Amino acid sequence: MSFIFDTLTWKDEEGVIPWLADNWDVSEDGTEWTFTLHSDVAWHDGEPLTAEDVAFTFDYFKQHQEAFKWFWPMDKVEGAEAMDERTVVLTLTEPIASCHEALIGSLPIIPRHIWESVDDPAKFTAEEAVIGSGLFKLVEYNKEEARYVYEANADYFKGSPAVDTLTFIKVENEALALETGTTDYASFWGKEIEAVRELEEDLDCQHIEGPSFWVLQVVFNTTQPPFDNVNLRRAVAHAIDRAKIVEQVTHGGAIVANLGIVSPFTDWYNPNLPAYEYDPAKARDMLDELGMTDLSLTLITTGGFAREAELVQADLEQVGIQVEVQAGDQSTIDGLLREGNFDLAINGHGGIANPSILRTPTWPASSYNNEEYDSLYQEQSRATDEEERREMVWQLQQIIAEDLPVLTLYHPKMWTVYNPSKLDTWFYTQGGVSLGIPIAMNKLIFLER
Amino acid sequence: MRVAQYLITLFVLLSLNFFLPRMMPGDPLSYLLGDPSTDAPILLTEEMRENLLEYYGLNKPLAQQYKDYLLGLAGGDLGWSIYYNAPVSSLLLGRLKWTLFLSGTAAVIYVTLGILLGAISARNRGTKTDVGLLVSVFSLGSWPPFFLGMLLIIFFSLKLGAFPIGGAQSPGAAQAGGFGRVKDVLHHWFLPCLSLVLTHLPGIYLLTRNSMLGVLGEDYVRTARSKGIREHRVLLRHALPNALLPIVTTIAMRFGFMIMGTMFVEVVFAYPGMGTLIYQAGAARDYPLLQGGFLLMMAFVVFFNLAADLLYARLDPRVRRA
Repeated sequence: MSFIFDTLTWKDEEGVIPWLADNWDVSEDGTEWTFTLHSDVAWHDGEPLTAEDVAFTFDYFKQHQEAFKWFWPMDKVEGAEAMDERTVVLTLTEPIASCHEALIGSLPIIPRHIWESVDDPAKFTAEEAVIGSGLFKLVEYNKEEARYVYEANADYFKGSPAVDTLTFIKVENEALALETGTTDYASFWGKEIEAVRELEEDLDCQHIEGPSFWVLQVVFNTTQPPFDNVNLRRAVAHAIDRAKIVEQVTHGGAIVANLGIVSPFTDWYNPNLPAYEYDPAKARDMLDELGMTDLSLTLITTGGFAREAELVQADLEQVGIQVEVQAGDQSTIDGLLREGNFDLAINGHGGIANPSILRTPTWPASSYNNEEYDSLYQEQSRATDEEERREMVWQLQQIIAEDLPVLTLYHPKMWTVYNPSKLDTWFYTQGGVSLGIPIAMNKLIFLER
Repeated sequence: MRVAQYLITLFVLLSLNFFLPRMMPGDPLSYLLGDPSTDAPILLTEEMRENLLEYYGLNKPLAQQYKDYLLGLAGGDLGWSIYYNAPVSSLLLGRLKWTLFLSGTAAVIYVTLGILLGAISARNRGTKTDVGLLVSVFSLGSWPPFFLGMLLIIFFSLKLGAFPIGGAQSPGAAQAGGFGRVKDVLHHWFLPCLSLVLTHLPGIYLLTRNSMLGVLGEDYVRTARSKGIREHRVLLRHALPNALLPIVTTIAMRFGFMIMGTMFVEVVFAYPGMGTLIYQAGAARDYPLLQGGFLLMMAFVVFFNLAADLLYARLDPRVRRA
């Protein structure tokens, strides 16, 4: 989407950069933002992009927020007003932490002349729906074949992109597609490290390694016995050899996870958390003390993490906890987690470059209740001072690591493998593209900088 | 009478169709933000869930949803896919044409070839030709379809570079039009079609061969032969039509399952057909799309069963009389 539509600000390797907005001012209390737009920006249909469009966009998304799949904190937007051709004032009901990532740098500015007559945006699929201001125009979208064809927007205000036609296709085997030259770019993660190593032998391909914004974790059902007992959760943490799982299952394609969930590849990461070293003898002692020597539990997971589940099962058996592994598809697991119908689950999620993911440390169920945690979360989401916010995010991680509503296992690494003769400007964006999407396809790679 | 039976069956199926997907654990919302196990950087709050459920009409009482579903169907409306965010009917039609093209052409080939080879084998029972055919048909066709597909890709696409690794056409080919497009589509069609033909051939072949062997031992064939009718005429005019009876049933059943039957091959070749669509709809709990997809599958099964029934009566006088 960021190819077709632009945002007021954008990000490069280092951080926030001006985009549609040349510059901006924030009021002292963080609720009033004044943007000065770049002049001479045009929509794909030739109409000029003005402050009216920007103001309209904020109002429109606020009005229709339920219909959009991505989520912006539109409930915190009071409104936006165009002061003149190039000046927009955005008013918020309360300050939004990391406002560039959460809203300004990720909300696509849409053309008023097309969208003002659209009542149900989710079902608006006319050709005009893809008229944006971005560096590419979408010329073909084939739903049957999951194929997108983009063409360069020669009149782009940052210059014409280096690639004339950009095509996304669906393939079954990405490594094979690269090897046969069917595609010039693919991304791999975690266990797929084997494919990356094999492609390394192929001289035509190069790769870069990216950060990990994804976490696999053991979720405890904290709402019912036996895992409502924090000491049992801690005993389990001592019983599971996380390093062994990383080594044996991912073959070095992952790193042992931060117990506070947040990605170690970001500034939000708290490196000083309790460690729970692997110590089965200690785990057994703790279980004895709890009088829980004869536990028998179920562990749910998807087929994709069956190996991890087996290792956890074996580790727990060592300390006298019998575990039955049940595998289902992702929707089944999500359903069981939501209903609270489980003891243990192995499940993963992304988005951990952004502290707002910590809303509830369990996923996707909100089974964990801790008032201190919740109020701290609310407080940090309003913080405008980065230092203050970091302090609070560190505290949140401290609580997770001590209270263990989840036991994180690993963060899979990511790789982008590409054909350098086509394009060799790939990079991973600091904190991820847009709302934190960890891909090496930032639109900047197509532009002269 | 038979048609009425089929109509009742269809109605019962329609209802199952509605309730079964909803009995699976989970709901369509978990996939709304993308595959939750690989991306989904955003967390749905309870409030957002409520909003979304209301938007898709999923928080209405089940009876009301069922009524809406039946009324929609009666009006020819299959609903709106939640996962793909598009009308179900256009999604199904878009995919159906590729599945019908792929499995239809493959079916013509493997049915013709299977009957032909089966007849030849039966005629030459016990000879080198028969044994040779048996061994080669089975050694080629007894691989699991996805494994066979992978082998074909590795050999023809990776080693020889002769065929594309997947998809139904090249990007941009859709606009090219004309002969170039036909060539492109056939180029993409060849390997998946070959996998299907090789997988389905042994069944038809063996059935024809055995059925023919049975018929060739019948009295009327001996009578025909003793009347001095030439051998190939005995085979084609007297034996084959009767030997085909059980084959017609088998073929009708295979055609009925043709929509899902190509799923593995579609997955391996990233072919944009019905099998992968319905599979994805199941994983995403996309109720409207699942309903529409199953409806189409059922319609196929019921239609081909009915066709087989009617055809059978025409071919076999004994059934007509009963």
